[in-house]
Amino acid sequence: MTDRHQSTGKHIGLCHCSVCHQTNPIELSHCSRCGAENKPRDYSSLHKSWALLITAAILLIPANIYPITTLVNQGKVTHDTIFSGITHLVHSDMLPIAIIVFTASILVPWLKIIGLATYLIAISFDLPVSKRKLMAGFHFIEWIGRWSMLDLFVISLTVALVNMGQLLDAKPAPAATAFALVILLTQLAAKVLDTRLLWDRLDVKNDKH
Amino acid sequence: MQDDDIDNSVTLCRACDLAVRRRALPSNVRALCPRCHTALYDTPYCSINGMLALCISALALFIPANVFPVLELHFLGSVRTATVFDGAMAVMDLGYWIVGIAVLVAAVLGPGILLLSIFAQLLLVKSGLTTSWQRSLYTRLLKQQGLLSQLTMLEIYVISFLVSAFQLSDFSDIYFGVGTFSFTMLFLVTLFLQREYSIEHMWSYLND
Repeated sequence: MTDRHQSTGKHIGLCHCSVCHQTNPIELSHCSRCGAENKPRDYSSLHKSWALLITAAILLIPANIYPITTLVNQGKVTHDTIFSGITHLVHSDMLPIAIIVFTASILVPWLKIIGLATYLIAISFDLPVSKRKLMAGFHFIEWIGRWSMLDLFVISLTVALVNMGQLLDAKPAPAATAFALVILLTQLAAKVLDTRLLWDRLDVKNDKH
Repeated sequence: MQDDDIDNSVTLCRACDLAVRRRALPSNVRALCPRCHTALYDTPYCSINGMLALCISALALFIPANVFPVLELHFLGSVRTATVFDGAMAVMDLGYWIVGIAVLVAAVLGPGILLLSIFAQLLLVKSGLTTSWQRSLYTRLLKQQGLLSQLTMLEIYVISFLVSAFQLSDFSDIYFGVGTFSFTMLFLVTLFLQREYSIEHMWSYLND
């Protein structure tokens, strides 16, 4: 019923293989090239993605309120959360580093969770949001998501280098595990989702800009 | 009917399932989906020999990058060094094994297996993919390719040892070594290898 008819694979009887990107006839149960199962649409992926995202959102709370590193400096013990670590960097005149760490450990995880939630809500409840903008956001999230690992790499190097007993000693703290799980779960949530569902469900009138 | 015709000239967008007619493209140009702007395909340009050269250099750099320390710290006369592996083990020893495994997979195992897998794929393509076990091994390797390249985070590790160096230089002297150089080179060579590598093109070797 559109003015400019755009046919999808489902309409013309073709199916895209998600593993090897081969175009198959829709009647085949398995891909002719790689043997993976042919799935014209993966409806369960929406629920899987929701489950992973909600778990990640819950873990984001301990990741931010618990300390992520413990530093012993001449017998004095200090605990640092993600945020207080960044404020220390700002106070010790390392603004560029502070910006990098802030982007990787605060901005990216929050953006990822809010972005994915918007995307999933738009599919689940047929929200009138521009599909093209949602898709651009989704690609951006997929691309930038991995950069959260930066903080964990920095922690592992610092812990390996700074171990002089009571004099100076750095250790990871509980938030590190929570943060690692947040990264893993959000990456999985974006990966399992079948984005074709968005384009099936939303009304064509939202696609004008 | 015209089924064969459709199969060869139509490609489906992986993100929104739109049917798009394939056209020949000039080099260095990517076809984007007209509806959702997802990258569809680019010119199948990847030279097997070029990739093989890059792959062997990357494998050669992989050893010093992981054997020699990437950072060296001098503090009140005591010297501490750390390789990538040491970093992962240090957090794992303190009970944070999820963090340790994440570091180990993203910076050591992921890149290592990725390079070995690409190396095996290239050798299989060079051998002509004639027997059935070669084809099934090749298929199995290609299926894991997407996961492996997602697990490889060399670029993030390079930035992270720069960040650590800046942070630690506040109260100690930090030195870079052979390991740092090798790791950075490993990252660059792998980057070029991944740019050259086209999964679509590798799959198409199975068609003929």
